[in-house]
Amino acid sequence: MTAGQGARGMESRTPDSVAGAEDLIERSAKAFIAAIPQQPEDDGYFGPASITWRLAADLSAPVAGLRGLLMQALHPLAMAGVDQHSGWRRDPAGRLAATSAYLATLTFGDRATADRAAAQVRRIHDHVRGTDPVTGRPYAAGDPALLLWVHVTFVDSGLAAARAFGTPPSNAEADAYIRETRIYAELLGVPRDIIPADQRGLAEYVRSVVPELMNTPAAEEAAGYLLDPPNMDPAVADLWQELRDAVLAVLPDWALDRYGYRPPPPLTAERRDEIRGALGMFDAVLLGEPGVLEARQRITLRQRDVH
Amino acid sequence: MIAAGAAAAGTAGLVLLRRRGNLRIARGLAALRLAARGGARYASNAPKLFAAAGEHRQQLRNDLALRTAEDVTATLGTMKGVLMKLGQMASYIDDGLSPAARRTLSRLQDSVPPMSADLAAQVIEEELGQPPDRLFAAWDPEPIAAASIGQVHRAITTNGVAIAVKVQYPGIAETIEADLGNVALLRKMLRIMAPSQDVPALLAELRDRVTEELDYRKEARNQQLFADYYDGHPTIGVPRILGEYSSRRVVTSELADGARFAELAGWSQAERDLVAETIYRFVFRSLYQAHAFNGDPHPGNYLFHGGGRVTFLDFGLVKYFTADELSPLEAMVRYLCVEHKPESFRAAMVDAGFLLRETPLPTDQIVEHMAVFYDTVRERGRRTMTGDYASAVTRRFFDFRSPLAPYARIPRSYVILQRINLGLFALLGELNATADWRLIAEEIWPFVQAPPSTPMGEAEAAWLAARGERQRASRSPGREGLEGLPGRRN
Repeated sequence: MTAGQGARGMESRTPDSVAGAEDLIERSAKAFIAAIPQQPEDDGYFGPASITWRLAADLSAPVAGLRGLLMQALHPLAMAGVDQHSGWRRDPAGRLAATSAYLATLTFGDRATADRAAAQVRRIHDHVRGTDPVTGRPYAAGDPALLLWVHVTFVDSGLAAARAFGTPPSNAEADAYIRETRIYAELLGVPRDIIPADQRGLAEYVRSVVPELMNTPAAEEAAGYLLDPPNMDPAVADLWQELRDAVLAVLPDWALDRYGYRPPPPLTAERRDEIRGALGMFDAVLLGEPGVLEARQRITLRQRDVH
Repeated sequence: MIAAGAAAAGTAGLVLLRRRGNLRIARGLAALRLAARGGARYASNAPKLFAAAGEHRQQLRNDLALRTAEDVTATLGTMKGVLMKLGQMASYIDDGLSPAARRTLSRLQDSVPPMSADLAAQVIEEELGQPPDRLFAAWDPEPIAAASIGQVHRAITTNGVAIAVKVQYPGIAETIEADLGNVALLRKMLRIMAPSQDVPALLAELRDRVTEELDYRKEARNQQLFADYYDGHPTIGVPRILGEYSSRRVVTSELADGARFAELAGWSQAERDLVAETIYRFVFRSLYQAHAFNGDPHPGNYLFHGGGRVTFLDFGLVKYFTADELSPLEAMVRYLCVEHKPESFRAAMVDAGFLLRETPLPTDQIVEHMAVFYDTVRERGRRTMTGDYASAVTRRFFDFRSPLAPYARIPRSYVILQRINLGLFALLGELNATADWRLIAEEIWPFVQAPPSTPMGEAEAAWLAARGERQRASRSPGREGLEGLPGRRN
């Protein structure tokens, strides 16, 4: 939830309107397609052999994204920055689309393109400052401590979601993923030496932040939106429930506890398959957007070249 | 967070699938709509006729080919194979899905690359015991066509017979079967994509249809029965199955070649009329005499040779009728078209389950509504089939505002029949074919069995006579339908 993203040009749209939704899926798809270069100058910061590419395309990726957002929202300062500057309420879905476009560019773009995208976000971050109304603490979006939390929640979630619902990474791959993705945080200004570089470091870092986390009113609202988007068509809400169950199944106990969610029942093999099926359906819908298939094929071909 | 955006976009897409289209039709009539796959599509979407599922896939470069069973699962697992099949079904439902839903489902079909040559060879070896280059005198590693869950290769047997070998993607049957077991999720999906449909009926149809296709042995059996029945027929050809090269995942038949449907546009009208007559005879002879129906009326499954000779391919979806299932249909035709007894026609409709007994409408209104379906056979005389007629039939079929609609039903065992009926009309309409359809029907109707009315009818009668001789000589069952043959399955 990199603060400041997605605030551009959404003011006139009605939240949850069909027109807005239509606009979102088209823009999301276009952003993704644009992020996958036709003729890259280089392999970017990760490259086709990376575990990062593999996990970014994993079936479990939507679960990872939502889990990461729910974890981030519990950080009062990170949440305050988003809440007071990003305008997510006006167009929450658009906000998500813009951020995912940013991450896709960083992941699959060549270095120059990734650098430009990161520089733009840093410029936005410069203006995101304020005081958290709950703790009374000042915040700045460029604060490496906040950026690191945002970074780690995504990395940790990518691994947790893939283990539960996707193609599970081996231990070595998990460590490699953590090492590879440090560049995400570095490009936004986090010093390399404070970024966890393996699973143990990641877990220790998360534990160290947990005491600061709390369910502020803004966090509760954002989490409520993500888990149970308002005004959804009842039939779609039914399917979204699968996604919600998936996220709750992999959310750390401390996060469930902060939000006051009841611990979910243990994930049976049968339930896991149902959720994977639902994720497959979400994926099929994205694949239906013009150009998404071709963009994915560009990725696959580059991966095949190296494997 | 690529992920979160993806999730959000995915939801939005689902909302769109649901809302963008005009999906309102009466509930409870879903079976009717299902029945109309085929007809509706051909009638109003003619150019699509020529874009069979595989054609897009052939444009895919081989560098994207599926190389392992894991590739297959990643591409077609987690409901995608099931959705793809739904897409094939949905493509027949003309007014059912929004452009967005249609696009999503058809893109899914396009997204399946072919198997690599190695993977296809591996399936052959697993299924038939030897790799293709040892099994066959010649083997073409490039597939010549895509099938929905497999692909077709050419080969030549050691005896020099040219064959078509359909090879199923490895693991796909298990994957799809498992996904079809995920009933709760399938219901949710269908409620989103087809909110106005009778979801349990749609689900049942989806499961039947897909399960039918997973085991190629069933298709091999169907095709061999048709090949046997039509053996020696003057214009109807069905390639024989080579049982020794067929299994659950591989089905091998003689290789057939011929003109594609699209090429008929350049043929003379006389030739096109002959083609239409053959297809018409094939459909009704199969039904009334062989008691079996090939439920896939896709013109991509026909090959044309001139002189009215047609090769029929793809017997993945065949429905066999029992005498009990068939007799009400015969009764309806007989009462309406031959004996002109409207009240008996109505009673037969009720018996067959097409009409509720308590329907509070006068019989002439019911007859008037139904008559369009029988238009070609109510009176003698040459008639030209047109696209307009096919559209009118389809429109009537979909006319859920008609006073009859609340009382009309299509029993499940007839669903496939209606589908091919509409498909046939659309096909003949596209050929602009002229014939005395009534006279041809009279030759075939078991309750009339009139003498031949055309040269093709003469040739067919000669074939039947010779066939009867052969059967008497071999003391095969007296009944000429497929039901007397071993291996018949419902």
